[in-house]
This record gives sequence, structure tokens and C-alpha cells, in this order.
Amino acid sequence: MNFAFLGKYWQFYLVGAKNTVLLAALAVLIGTAIGLFLSLLKLSSKKPLRFIASAYIEFIRGTPLLVQLFIIYYGLQAVGIRFPDIPWIGAILGINFSDFMSGVITLGLNSGAYVAEIFRAGIQAVDKGQMEAARSLGMPHRMAMQHIIIPQAIRNILPALGNEFVVVIKESSIVSIIGIGELMYKADTIRGNTFQPFEPLLVAALLYFLMTYPLSKLLAYIEGRMHSGER
Amino acid sequence: MNANDELIKTIDLRKHFGSLEVLRGISTSFVKGDVAVIIGPSGSGKSTFLRCLNLLEIPTSGQVIFEGVDITRAGHDLDLHRRKMGMVFQLFNLFPHMSVLDNITLAPIKLRGLTKEAAENRAMELLKRVGLTDKAQVFPSKLSGGQKQRIAIVRALAMQPDVMLFDEPTSALDPEMVGEVLEVMRDLASEGMTMIVVTHEMRFAREVGKRILFMDGGIIAEEGPPEKIFGNPENPRTREFLRKVL
Repeated sequence: MNFAFLGKYWQFYLVGAKNTVLLAALAVLIGTAIGLFLSLLKLSSKKPLRFIASAYIEFIRGTPLLVQLFIIYYGLQAVGIRFPDIPWIGAILGINFSDFMSGVITLGLNSGAYVAEIFRAGIQAVDKGQMEAARSLGMPHRMAMQHIIIPQAIRNILPALGNEFVVVIKESSIVSIIGIGELMYKADTIRGNTFQPFEPLLVAALLYFLMTYPLSKLLAYIEGRMHSGER
Repeated sequence: MNANDELIKTIDLRKHFGSLEVLRGISTSFVKGDVAVIIGPSGSGKSTFLRCLNLLEIPTSGQVIFEGVDITRAGHDLDLHRRKMGMVFQLFNLFPHMSVLDNITLAPIKLRGLTKEAAENRAMELLKRVGLTDKAQVFPSKLSGGQKQRIAIVRALAMQPDVMLFDEPTSALDPEMVGEVLEVMRDLASEGMTMIVVTHEMRFAREVGKRILFMDGGIIAEEGPPEKIFGNPENPRTREFLRKVL
């Protein structure tokens, strides 16, 4: 085992880890927005809306992330859609912004399907007497959702949503394939430069773990606090 | 009975759950100031009937006329009618993520346009009536069942409804807490509030009810003043039911 390459390449890892976190955070943000929207569609009383949401969720969950990534990255280019390159952001982050966005969008669209199920389950776990009480007071459905149901659902949702962030951090490694300079891509680069096929991967794995493990622990802590504060 | 006094009227109300026919044609009416107590064996459709009155349960057919308006017909704002019909549930259904005061003031502020201050003043007045002013800032999980139900009654009253619907309000309570809730309901009745109460509390029905409706098998099998229903019921099914529960 030889880890001497770290002296020369440690900054590669740092930039890669930073980009991984950025990628995952943006993806979860997009995924949350899509997921909330889809879950509301799925809980709608209108059948076509429910169908659209279900179709999206089932399709995303039933196809490989890699295929989705290629569809977004190559497919959209083929039909003439390309995310604009914004050089100054790319320069700051040390990435190609256009490619980076392909990765963010793919992970976000993918995560959205899973987040939708998290939201739906969280909303449905709220006792149905709550909606009845709100409606019996004369609140419109929307107001009841906003003031009564969603605030209670958040408590069910937050831990699972945090867990989704952990999942996306790990899955983001797949976008290294389209050359986004995140952690996995950087590790690959180092492997190529040093002709060491093995050790750079160990360092990458350790770094992934250092990101996900504290996050999981933090989530468990928050969840514990939320339950102790149960009112 | 003056037609103007008629608050709620149902015409041939029916409700199916799949192939199960829970309500099999109920036509009755409730006037202002009525204290109607609905009794009957479980599964007789009492709660379903009550829940049909504010359309928490959508009847399969038939009409509910509330203050002269057929609210079962499409094309009007059901929420406006529900604001005038307070409802109290068996399991309280207080909002667990809000303080008692917020539970009570949310709907008046959002739906009746009261200022926060006005709503809170009114809430405190109502809390005083049920003896729970000291619980205003407390969250529901810190309350006993009896206290929760009294708060739930206050929450419904805060909307200043024209009628109060009670769906087995004491069935989920420990026996020693039933009294405090019934007392609040008794006071409410004596103040002239129109009340429709589904309950198994026969003493309450007899003492507070102005009218008893005995339901069995999805119909009103017999109705009349308490003296008659409890003293001299005509329907053999009423007699059998009362023999079992009294």
C-alpha cells in the first residue's frame, strides 16, 4: 500500500468532495420540489393527476439511474436541448457548468420520485381525524393541508428526507461517467495519473463514508429529539 | 313547528359503503333550540347519519337541507355551511402541533376574519366557561381526555355555529372524565344551543335530550320525547335495546 500520492493530490479530493456535496444538495433540493409536487398530485382526488404522478414515479424507480443520466446528457443534446454554460460559475467551482447541470437535473429528477413517496407516506400517516376536524370547522382543503396536515407530516418526513440526502451523496458518484469533477471522477483521475489502480479508491471510499456517516448520526440525533419533544 | 325554525332537514338520506347499506332512507328535521339525542345499537348508522349532516360523509342519495339550502347539491360553497355547524369527535382530533389557544383561534382568525386579539379574547372567555383558562398555552398531549374534549367543544364553539354535532363525545373517555364533558354539554343545551348528539350515555339522553331518535338498521325506528322513549317505547326493538343498556 502506498499513499504517497496524497501529498501531491489531496486537493483533488477536496475539490471532488466539495462538488459531490454541492451536487447532492442541489439534487435533493430539486428532488424535494418535484417530490412535493408529485405527492400532492398522487393524493389528488382527480384520477388523471394521480395517473401522471404514478407513471412518473414508477418509470423513474423502474429504470437504472445510469440510463436516465445518459438520456439527459446525450438525449437532450441530440434533440437540441442543452443547459447553458455559465463560465464564471464553472470557473469558481472548477467544473463545466453545463455538464454539472445535467448531473444535477438527472439526480434531482430521479430523487424526486423517491421523495414523492416519502412525502405521500408522511402525509398519509397523519391521522385522518385531523383533516375531518379541519374541514368540519369550514377550512377549505388547501388551507387544511397547509395549516394542519403538512406541518404534522413534516415530522414524519424529515428523517426520511435526510436519509435521501445520504443516498443521493452515494449515487452521485455515477455522474463521474459524464466527466463531472466530483469525488469519484477525481479519484479516477488520480488513479490514471499515478498508475495506482487501488489506493486512490480507498481514499475516495473513506471520504464518502466521512460524509455520510456523520450525516446519518446527525439525523438519528434530530429524530430522537423530535420524538422526545412529541407533544 | 314553524318552518322558519327548521335548521336542518334530511330527505330520504341513504348511504352505501360498497354493498353495505348503512342508511336506508332517513327523513327528519331539527329545529332551532332542539336537543336531539340519537341512540341505538352499534352499526345502526348513528354516526354515519351525523357525519352526513355536514357532509363529512357524502350520502349516496337524498338531501340535506341546512338553513333552507340543499347542501347536497353541487355548486355552492360547502365550507361556508360547515362554519355554522360545529362538530365534536369521539377522538377529540385536537391539532397536536398547536397550543390550546391556537387550536381554538386558528379557524376564527382564518375563516371569520377576526383579529388575533379578538379571537384570543373570545377563546379565553370560552375557556373560562369550561374551566380551562390555565391550559391556554399548553399543548394537547399534556391534557387529560376530558380536558381535550372540553377544548374540542370550545374550538367548535369559537366559530359561533348555529348547531353543534356531537359524535359519541364521551365514548373514548375514562369513566371518571365523562361527567365533566357532559356537564359542559348540559350547560350548552340550557343556553339554547341547537345540538344533535350521538351517544351511549342514556342518563344524559333522558335528562338533557328534548327529543330522542332511536336508530336501528339504518332507519329511525322510533322517535319522541325522552319520557315516551324511555318510559313507554312502542317499537319492540327500542324496548329490547333499552332493556340491554339500562
